[in-house]
Amino acid sequence: MSLKLQPKKWPGKIREVTLGAGNRQPRTVGGGNGLPLHTFEADFPHRPVLALEVTDINPPRWLDIVREPWEGLLGKPADAARKAAEQYGADLIMLNLMGTHPDRGGRSPDQAAIDVEAVLDAVRVPLIVKGPGAGAKQNDVLARVAEKYHGEGLVLHSACQEDYKTLAAVTVAYGHVLVSESPIDLNIAKQVDILLSDVNINLDRVLIDPLTGGLGYGLEYTYSVMERIRLAALGGDQMLNSPMICLVGEEVWKVKEVKVSERQEPRWGDQETRGINWEVATAWSLIEAGAEVVVLRHPDSLARVRKILDAWFAEGASNNTR
Amino acid sequence: MALTGLQIFKLLPGTNCRDCGYTTCLAFAMKLAAGQVSLDKCPTASEDIKATLGAASAPPIRGVTIGKGERAITVGEETVYFRHDKTFVRPTGLFRMIDPNRLSDGEIEKHLDDWATIGIERAGELFRVDGIAMIEPAGSRERYARLAEAISRRGMPVALMASTIDGVRSAVEKIKDQRPLIVPSPGVDQSPFVALAAEFKLPLVITGKDLDDVAATAVDAAKHGVTDMLLEPPAKDARELHQNLSRLRRGALDRIHPGLGYPIFLRVAAGEFDKVVIGITKFASLVAMENAAGEAWLPYWTLRQNIYTDPQKPLQIDPSVHSIGEPDENAPLLVTTNFSLTYFIVSTELDGTGVPSRLAVVDAEGMSVLTAWSAGKFSGEKVAKELRRLGATEHVKHKTVIIPGYVSVISGELEDALGDGWRVLTGPQEASDLNAFFRDVWQPMMNG
Repeated sequence: MSLKLQPKKWPGKIREVTLGAGNRQPRTVGGGNGLPLHTFEADFPHRPVLALEVTDINPPRWLDIVREPWEGLLGKPADAARKAAEQYGADLIMLNLMGTHPDRGGRSPDQAAIDVEAVLDAVRVPLIVKGPGAGAKQNDVLARVAEKYHGEGLVLHSACQEDYKTLAAVTVAYGHVLVSESPIDLNIAKQVDILLSDVNINLDRVLIDPLTGGLGYGLEYTYSVMERIRLAALGGDQMLNSPMICLVGEEVWKVKEVKVSERQEPRWGDQETRGINWEVATAWSLIEAGAEVVVLRHPDSLARVRKILDAWFAEGASNNTR
Repeated sequence: MALTGLQIFKLLPGTNCRDCGYTTCLAFAMKLAAGQVSLDKCPTASEDIKATLGAASAPPIRGVTIGKGERAITVGEETVYFRHDKTFVRPTGLFRMIDPNRLSDGEIEKHLDDWATIGIERAGELFRVDGIAMIEPAGSRERYARLAEAISRRGMPVALMASTIDGVRSAVEKIKDQRPLIVPSPGVDQSPFVALAAEFKLPLVITGKDLDDVAATAVDAAKHGVTDMLLEPPAKDARELHQNLSRLRRGALDRIHPGLGYPIFLRVAAGEFDKVVIGITKFASLVAMENAAGEAWLPYWTLRQNIYTDPQKPLQIDPSVHSIGEPDENAPLLVTTNFSLTYFIVSTELDGTGVPSRLAVVDAEGMSVLTAWSAGKFSGEKVAKELRRLGATEHVKHKTVIIPGYVSVISGELEDALGDGWRVLTGPQEASDLNAFFRDVWQPMMNG
């Protein structure tokens, strides 16, 4: 009696979203018509992509373990981006404009634009630009950047249910991609996509950020919300079938389990490897749950996740780059 | 698939003999369908009916217990593919592999002493090494038996990673009452191991060159009297592992083959971190791993805790007022919900500020701040009531309470509900900004 293992077929599929345009080498994500990584029964024209995070200022709260690979480059986003793309193998870069936050120096939208320009000049990979977080400053900074670098297909992070109109408008007007953020909640994720399509954003220009809970700090919530979003998309829901982006690095590198040294907790083992393991475990679990764009902080984490993906998608990889 | 009462009724003799204690066969069938009575109450049920009903009423994945006593571990009994559909019930057993061909008995005893006592508490769970997978030492049956016994003596479940039938038999005879798991090397002739497991009624790992082979071998082992099995799918790399784990779980849940309804065994070599992550998230029931230290175990345990948390029941802690450092009557008083992660994060950040404070953790049914607020569990009135109930308002002189930034909207209502000159200060949205908040808002306010 041999096994009858039927491939599972779904009516829907994930939207294809192209990151980067103009002077960027574009990279498309999404397009899969099955559960994440279920390569044995579904087609995945594009593989998940991995970004490294660079910052406009010397980040005040980064641990030494994640500072070390960026020695001398923290707060020099163009140099850091070059190293990330050329040496560390990042598929794309996330420029975190944390210095524009009023608590972290309050750099102006014009200063932010200078940083963006420097990074755009330094690398050809697509660029995610992360603002200082919800609030008036977020829109000022991201709208300025969006306008100035129109046509570059920047990924603007992010709009939310309460505040999306400004960024939606500049996304449409200047040819960018917008991240729609929701607080680990499927219904709100859908609501934001509906709101965005109501203001005439083509959802082929939207990524969903379901909000990442790091390993041990809410991972299970993000994991299940992402699985449910993916199932809704495969079931044919056109308002939930955007590819998902997860900001893993910033969640991982602040938790107690990566901050505590081996001297303090001998049972927890080597702190550096533990931290990288923490980032890899978080990233990989979320890729299993459906993440298509994963933003990391430590280049060793990126190398390890990339190695798994390279082997996974080695067959038929020729159409994976565009 | 479970049968309905009517489907079962059609299989019953239909004599209404009442020997089962029910007035009609239909009534008995309904009780059977509800799982409230067992088929052996029916004296005239045929073997065919027993087989059909037995298969239909059995759980899709058999529960298998390894070890004896307090540390015994049961795996299997899963009923869903996605944890949000219900919950995953039997957390992946994490076993440490020992290779006696590389270690002396003295070194092994020392490791066992160490590993048996590991216990790391996190969010109400005690992380332990769940069991020991002992590789068969070359050339000495007595040594294998002695080492197996050394594990059992410490109360830990044993997996016998056997390469020869004679070796494993000597170990099994020594600890047969401890329900060790028998794990033949991949590729060996499994029939003598099947006979051994059947003879001692012990759990056995079934391997195969592909899933067809695994399933067929399991059915064959069942015919030879083995009831408790774990299946070890081929897993040359991460992708093949994921594929086989996914297909095994789905095949078991869909009951496409009787040889698939068992928990899954996975062995990983040193450094195969990703395979363990895939195993924990994707349905492996028991993982035996080579050399791995705390920096790998801690993320494994934590990942398992996350994945196997019941999605219907968020982890919560008991409402109370927690002191951070040694707060006096001028120390800030903050309030948050009793969702354990919220508490962990806020208390960790508070600790990091170096400012002594009090954190009132109020009952919000284990929800996070925003969720609790939108569900009406963190309204101004509720929070005021809880602060009074917990006595939080009695500790401080300044009559000020700091609320999470995300729920600034409740500040007016909370002030009114507290009355008596209390004021409400809106804190930062993220706990990570508490340091700046104390520096820029709290301290100037108290000093001014």
